[in-house]
This record gives sequence, C-alpha cells and structure tokens, in this order.
Amino acid sequence: MTGVAVRSLVKAWGDTRAVDDVSFTVEKGSLAVLLGPSGCGKSTTLRMIAGLEDPTSGTVEIGGRDVAGLTGAARGVAMVFQSYALFPHLSVADNITFGLSVRKTPKPEMRERLDKVAELLGLKPLLARKPGQLSGGQQQRVALGRALIAEAPVCLLDEPLSNLDAKLRQNLRREIRALQQRLGITMIYVTHDQTEAMSMADRVILMRGGRIEQNARPSELYERPASLFAARFVGGSSMNLIHLDNDASGTRAVIAGQDEVAVLPRPGRGLVLGLRPEDIEIAGESGDRPAGHVIGTEADVEEIEYLGADALVTCRLDDHRLTARTRGTAAPSIGARVRIGWRESAMHIFDAESGWRLDPAGGERSRHAPHVNKDTHKERETST
Amino acid sequence: MKRLTTAFLGAALATSVFAAPAWAATEISFYYPIAVGGPITKIVDGYVKKFEEENPDIVVKPVYTGSYQDSIVKAMTAARAGNAPDAAVLLSTDMFTLIDAGMIVPYDQIATSDADKAWLSSFYPAFMANSEANGHTWGVPFQRSTIVQYYNKEAFKKAGLDPDKAPSTWDELVADGKKLTVKDGSGNMTQWGLEIPSSGFPYWLFQALAIQNGADLANQNGTKVYFNDPKVVEAATFFKDLSAKYDIMPKGIIDWGTAPKDFFQGKTAIMWTTTGNLTNVRKNAPFEFGVAPMPAKVQGGSPTGGGNIYIFKTDNKDKQEAALKFARFLTSKERAADWGIATGYIATRADAWDTPAMAAYVKDFPAAAVARDQLKDAKAELSTHDNQRVTKALDDALQAILTSDEKAQAALDKAQQQATAILRRYQE
Amino acid sequence: MATRTARRLNMHVQGWLLVLPAVVLLAAFTHVPVVETFIGSIFSTPQAGHPAHFIGIQRYGDMAADPIFWQALTNNLLYALITVPVSIGLALAMAIWVSGRIPGRALLRLAFFMPTILPMIAAANIWLFFYTPGYGLLDQVAHLFGFGSTNWLGDTSTALPSLMAVTIWKESGFFMIFFLAALQQVPPDLYEAARIENATRWQVFARITWPLVMPTTLFVAINALINAFRIVDQVIAMTGGGPNNATSLLLFYIYQVAFSFWDTGYAAALSTVLLIVLAVVALGQFFLLDRRIHYR
Repeated sequence: MTGVAVRSLVKAWGDTRAVDDVSFTVEKGSLAVLLGPSGCGKSTTLRMIAGLEDPTSGTVEIGGRDVAGLTGAARGVAMVFQSYALFPHLSVADNITFGLSVRKTPKPEMRERLDKVAELLGLKPLLARKPGQLSGGQQQRVALGRALIAEAPVCLLDEPLSNLDAKLRQNLRREIRALQQRLGITMIYVTHDQTEAMSMADRVILMRGGRIEQNARPSELYERPASLFAARFVGGSSMNLIHLDNDASGTRAVIAGQDEVAVLPRPGRGLVLGLRPEDIEIAGESGDRPAGHVIGTEADVEEIEYLGADALVTCRLDDHRLTARTRGTAAPSIGARVRIGWRESAMHIFDAESGWRLDPAGGERSRHAPHVNKDTHKERETST
Repeated sequence: MKRLTTAFLGAALATSVFAAPAWAATEISFYYPIAVGGPITKIVDGYVKKFEEENPDIVVKPVYTGSYQDSIVKAMTAARAGNAPDAAVLLSTDMFTLIDAGMIVPYDQIATSDADKAWLSSFYPAFMANSEANGHTWGVPFQRSTIVQYYNKEAFKKAGLDPDKAPSTWDELVADGKKLTVKDGSGNMTQWGLEIPSSGFPYWLFQALAIQNGADLANQNGTKVYFNDPKVVEAATFFKDLSAKYDIMPKGIIDWGTAPKDFFQGKTAIMWTTTGNLTNVRKNAPFEFGVAPMPAKVQGGSPTGGGNIYIFKTDNKDKQEAALKFARFLTSKERAADWGIATGYIATRADAWDTPAMAAYVKDFPAAAVARDQLKDAKAELSTHDNQRVTKALDDALQAILTSDEKAQAALDKAQQQATAILRRYQE
Repeated sequence: MATRTARRLNMHVQGWLLVLPAVVLLAAFTHVPVVETFIGSIFSTPQAGHPAHFIGIQRYGDMAADPIFWQALTNNLLYALITVPVSIGLALAMAIWVSGRIPGRALLRLAFFMPTILPMIAAANIWLFFYTPGYGLLDQVAHLFGFGSTNWLGDTSTALPSLMAVTIWKESGFFMIFFLAALQQVPPDLYEAARIENATRWQVFARITWPLVMPTTLFVAINALINAFRIVDQVIAMTGGGPNNATSLLLFYIYQVAFSFWDTGYAAALSTVLLIVLAVVALGQFFLLDRRIHYR
C-alpha cells in the first residue's frame, strides 16, 4: 500500500528548475530518505510534499488521495524542521500541543496525548521549560514530539539532526528509526549525510540537480551504484575511480599505463573502474585467497591513515592512487612494495562520459538510469 | 519646557552677537516681527540704510524676530539675559507686560525737546490710546490697523443688494446677511452671509461688537475689566446669534487664516478682518470687492490693533538717544505713508495722508482711506496688566459661548471673575 | 597592602575622570535645569521692583484649583490613551502588510513612512487644509456622500480627535519601521511550522507574531507615551489650544503660561508635574521592559 506517491513533480523559479520531473512512491509504514548534496532539490521536494510550496506541475498523493490545495495537517502530514522551529515564547508542553490547540482539540484529550508523547521521548521533566533553556538534543526531541503528537500518517523530517554533534546524532538516528517502526509511521527524511541515509532508510532516493539519480534500497545503492555520482556519494570512504584504457592489442581493458593488468576482456577506453577500498586486498595479510577470480598487481605504499580498527592504505600505481582498507593491525609500512588484488565481482564499471553504470561483462549499458526506476516501482506495486 | 527655554536662550545668544558695540559709531539693535505678507525685510533694510546715511554716527542692526508672539518672547528673554534690544516693534497690547517687567522707558522722559513733543502729538489719538498709561507714553504707533468689513460686490448684486452700500447697522447686517446666505438643493450651505474669525484671539473682533454696542472692555490704566457689563453680554449674545439664531455665519470657531480664503472662494459674502489684509485681498479676490467701515448698534467703531515701537532701558545714554532718533525716523510722515502703501497698515499720522505718494495711492485705491476715516470712532484695543492671561479669560469665554450651549451671561461672569482675580494685585 | 589600596583608589579616580565630561554635560543640561525648575516653582515670579521670594508649595495648591490645568491634563491623558494604542495597532498592521511579498511593497513602505519625514509644521498645514470647513478635503469627501460641512477644528467636540488623527497619521509610519525590523527578526520557520499545523491567520498573529514582537511593542508604547506628553508644535500650528482649551495639552499650557503670561514660576510648577509624569512613564519602562519579555 502506498503511503506517499509523488508524480512528475516540477518546481521552477523562472528558468531554473529546482525540482525537475521527480516521481517516486513511499510505502506505507516505511522510511524513505531523500539524499543529496545541497541544492539538489531534496528540501524543495519535501516542502512540496508538506504543502509549504506549490508545485509548478505534478501531483502529490497521500494515502491514495491527491492533496493539492491542502497544507500540513490537512493533508495528513507532520513536519520536523532543520532549525526545529520551536516557538521561543511557549513552554515545551505548549510547543508540543500547539497544533492540537490550534485545531481546538478538547483539553483532556490534549493532556493525554501530551503525556504519551512526553513519555515516549523522555520529555516529562522538561515540559514547563522554554526552548531557550534546553540543549540541542532536547530541542530536537521537542520538535519531534510536536510532529508525533499530531498522529499524522506521514511525518516529514528536514535534516533534523544536522545541528547536533556526532555522538548525539548517532543515538537519535537509532531512536527515530525505532520510533518510526514502532508507531508504523510513513517517514520521509531529508539529509545530505549518506551514513544517516544508509543506516535508517528502507529506501534511499538519491537526488542530483533536481532529478533522481537512483532510487534503491541502501544495500543496492552500495552494491550497485547507478552512476559515478552515486558511487562517490555513498559509502564510508570514497570509491577509488580509475580510468581504463585499451591494451596494446586493443581487445582488453587495462588500467591506463599498466598493460599487464587485464581488467576486462573487452576494450576499455572511455571506461572508469570503481573499486571500494574495502574490496581491495593487500597480499600477505592473509594466506588464504578468497574464492573467485582475483585481479592483482604490485604497488608502493605511500600513505597510511590509521583509524583504529581499520587503516586506509594509499598505494601508488604509476600515476594512479588506490586506497585500500585493511585491518588496523595488519597495515604494511610506508614505502613497502605490496601486492594488491580484488575480486572481479567487486568491480564497478562506469561510462566515463555519461557517468552511468555499465554491465562489466558486456558492452551493454546497465539499466539503471533514473527513468527506469519508475518502471521497476510499478512492477513492485502491481506485485504487492 | 526645558528644550524651549534652551531654544530661546540660544536665539537670545545669537541675537546678542549683533548687539556687540562698534568702536566708533553708536550701535543699536532693532527687533521687528512680520505679521503681514510682502517683502518686509527688504523694506526695513531700506529704511535702516537711509537712516544710517542721515546719521553716520549710528549703526542699526535690524533683527527679524518672527511672529508677534515670537518677538515678545525673544525680546523679553534677551532683556532678562542682559541683552535687551534698544528698540523693538511689539504688540501695542504688550505695553503693560513690558512695564511690569520694568524693561521699557516712557517716551515722555527721553523725548523732551519741543520737536520731540510735537512729534509725540502728531499721531492719531485712537492709536495713542494704546500707548498711554499712568500718565506716561510708553510706545509710538508704527504698524497699526483696525477692523473693516470686506464685501463681495458681485454677491451683493446677485442677492439684489446695492453693491455700493455695505450694512451700516446691526439690523442691516442681519437683513443683508440673510439675503446673502445661499443653500444648494440638498440644503448644504454654498455661501454664508458673514464670517467673523474667532480662532486664537477672538476678543479683538468681539471688541468691535462691544464698542458698537457702546461698551468699554477695560479702563485706561489696565487695572479693571468690564467683561460682564450688560452691553458686553448683549454684544456676545449677538455674536452667537449670528450663527445660532440668524444662521448667516458658520457655527463654531472660524479660523483667521481660513476667513480670507473663504472670501476669495465665494464661501462668504462679507468678512470682518484687519486692514492688514487689504493688500492681500486686493491681490487675491477674483471679483470686485468693497471695503466699508464697521456697522453700528449705538455707534460705529472698532478697536485698533498692531504694533508700537518701544525703547528698552539701558544705562548707555548714547544708545537711548540713537534709539529715539531711529523711532522718530521710522514714524516720520514720509515713512508712515510709504509703510502704509507697502503693507496695508494705516499710516499713523494725519500729515502722512497729505504726502503726494499717499494722495496718489488713495486716489487709485479709495478703499485704503476707509480705515483712516473710521479712526474717529476707533477705541484702544483691550490691554491690561497681565494682558495675555486676562484676554485669555475673555477668549475662553467667547469660544465657550460660540461652540457650546453656555449662555453669554454665565460665561462672561466667569471671565470677569477670573480677570478680576488676576488684576487684584495691580490695584493700589 | 597600602600600595594595593592606593592602586585601587587610583583606578577609581581614573574611572571618574573618564566619565567626567559626560557627567558634566548631563548635569549641566539635564539635572541642574530640573532642580532649578523645581526651585523656581517654590519661589514667586520676579517682577520689576518685586524680587522672587519663597512661597513654598502654594503654586501646587493653585494648580489643583486651576481648571485649565485639569483640562490640559485630562486632554493629555485622553490623547495618550487613544493615540498610543491606535498608532501602534496601525503601525503593526502596516508592518505586517508591507513585510509580506506583495508587488510594489517598497513604494508602500515609502508611502507609509512619508508622514514621518515631513516636519510637523508641514504636516499641520496639510491637515489644516484637510480640516477646512466647506472645501477642505474631508468635507469635499463628505459632500460626495451627501453629508454637510463639519467645523473639525472649530468645534470643542471634534477639535481634540482631529489633532489625535494627525499624531496617529504621523507616528504610525515611524513605529512601522520598528515593527518591520521586529518582524524580520522572527524566523520564517515559525510561520511554516504554524502553517503545517493549519493555524488560521488570526491564530498565527495572536499566538506567534504578537507575543514575539511584544518587546518592540512595549518599547514603542513607552516612546509613544512620552511623545504624547511632549506634543506642542501641532497644537500651536493648528488650534492654539482652542476652542476654549479643548485642545490644550500640558506642554502647550506650560508654553502659554511661560511665554504668554510670563508667569515663569507657575510654568516651573507645571513643568515639575510634567517631569513627574514622564518619570513615572520612564520607570514603567525600566520595570516592564527589563522583566524578560525577551525570549532569547
């Protein structure tokens, strides 16, 4: 069942299109993250879903109903703002119940629901305080409380954690996800932080320049990034991207200037090889090679970034630099010549010109362009 | 209050710069207000230049000091700060205020030669009435006026009245006024018969009514008033009746500035106002107008008004002498005629009217002589000790009568009581 | 020990020396005149041959029996009680109007602010024309609707309200600037949060805008109140306190007593009363404004 459906949404200011033909659906009770760098149109999309912004064209459906002309509560939507947007002159309790009192909810019911939400978020001791007397995390909870008390079927969150420190962010991430699942709310969550997206989302909708780059489950996004952009944006440490070239015979793809390392059994000019650091192995650290075909070569260790459990080892391969992730205790020393290798299945191949993913085996273009997502979704919808 | 004081002190300081003594010549300062339109400053500067040519040992510093009210404030403030002007043109009714402040010298003490005495007796007695108190002469008339009737001859013709005959009695005033009052189809007034201004200082125009009814408002020494005299009450009742009973005049307060505009716009057929407006009306009335003396009840007549020249006390005899010379110069018959022609004020002495310039002016504009001819019936303007406070008591009473249901008798009784209380300490 | 005391003393002396110019100016132009005003009020007004002598608080007794003083005070209180809330209300309404995204708002802002730029005397002259009976702007409009003429300034019942209208007209635009600044301080998110909750325009105003601009409202109210007791120019320009003292305000009456009646002693006593009124208002400002209507 559909919680939210967005169809061909466009928001244009003059000639610039902040949101350009965006369509996606969010299943009821699931959490979708709108991910992307600033200016990609994710917040504008969210504001159109909230009804704060009127779309230039396209529709928003909530619970199967076209909600054009309605705003917020009227379309069954609650929202948490990046700045929390708490009313500085009202107490925590009054902030949380603001919407209820505006809609003239009876006093006893209001008290009851406040109680419930305060309990849920651990805000009980703070109800009489003013927002100015709260810490950032506490303010965040109040903002969340104000959204939750409405018991709206859809809750929108606009970068809700961006003003908090890392530790707090991690805790609240978990907490919000738990609440969402427990209460069965449909949530759309806007962030520029891929960790947040990957750790919380049922689906990640990656946006770029007003369009959807990729709409996928987090694992799929990680394993099969649809483009160079998606590959760079997602993943803890960024993917190694190496330009490929043809070998002397012109039949195999090799790393440019490394004729002896055959990467693909096909011409490689105009292709980019993507390798995640965690997929690159440094020989010697483990006697047993894992199963599967391993492509390998020799490289010089140039730099080591020690992270505790892990270490990032940067190796030099002629003009190329490759970063590999190893266990912190197994890192080689700087200047050592090591043998590096990766499994064939770990390779991501992209078209250098368009940036789109290609099927490593054949010359065919991967079916992962954004417009395709719509179709796959339709299939999924009909199947459920 | 504080700010005001500072401002006035500032003005006084500024003017004192001009009063700095010159090394060889005797330097005197002269304050004058501007109460009528026209290039007054230029005219005054011209007189000063001419005077200095005739008296090379005297330097006159003329200081324009604003309205009459601004001028008395500046003069008194400067005098208190020890920088009194040597001569100043101030309202004739400021006389008692200046006497009580001990700031001015009576002319009879300094103008002692035969020529001086002849000069002092050359002015119209009606004007001198506001210069004399307690047996002394405290000021000489300079820019003086009376009240006259201005009337719209075209409106008179339209109403079937003789355009060469303005009302000469109260009864005629009411009868003509009724004919001159015109309403449009929906009952709105389009032309009033008469306007007598009553804003600011209504006592002055009211005094004309009182005089016409044979009443005096105060004694010569300014120690007694007769505000609730039956004749005064009758005049006040008539004032009110013009709007309330006869419906020939707008109700409420009529503004001094608005009345001439109403006259030019044809909103009123007759207006009573100062002769000082003569030049203004001559310039701006888009129709043929007449000027007539005041109508009579038991007698005709009007109070005088306007400004006198006062000489301030100083220990410097040369300055006093020079100030007297300058006052004599300004009030010579030639200057009186010239000033009258330029401004519309009444030339203050009979011989001024015989000068060739004046004769030519009157020939061209006979209305100018109406005010002069009325002087035989003119009386002193209401002037007492603590003058502005006493006249305010009367002003308030008159405005109360005109704007509310308060009866003339009750309002004037109250004014009389207030004025008597104020004047008690001046009665020996 | 001794050097420490000496050093501290030295510091105190330096501190006082630094504020000395300000203290001298303040004392010379504010405190000394205030004290002199009070002293003047308990001595008789000097006249030729009668130097000032001590009369105690007799003048304050006279004042209590002076009907014009009471009328001026009543007029002034009415003036304050009506012009202050009305001009604040208008100012806020205009500010809310022109802070929105509407075409030509710069022009509108200028139009609203224009009366403030005009000198009082110019404004008074414009309004004198509006109020002229018969062919003034107000009466011309009244005639269009079939009403007769009104002698706005010449009638005791309309003169004071007519003056109030000028003050409101003149001050609203000025106060609007303060409210505009205050409104711009309110984060737009708050309005969006309210929109999300489907709050009505009135609810948004009553629950968000009004409480958040409260510090500005108070600041403006106090200033307007003080201004209301300092008005004199338009009274002089438009009515001279008449008819029959209907538009006499405290400061105007003081001016009249001081510079028309030359009763400087009584004027000093009236000034003392006015100073007390203003001091009470200023104290109100201290206590109310400082009592945390600030939320941040």
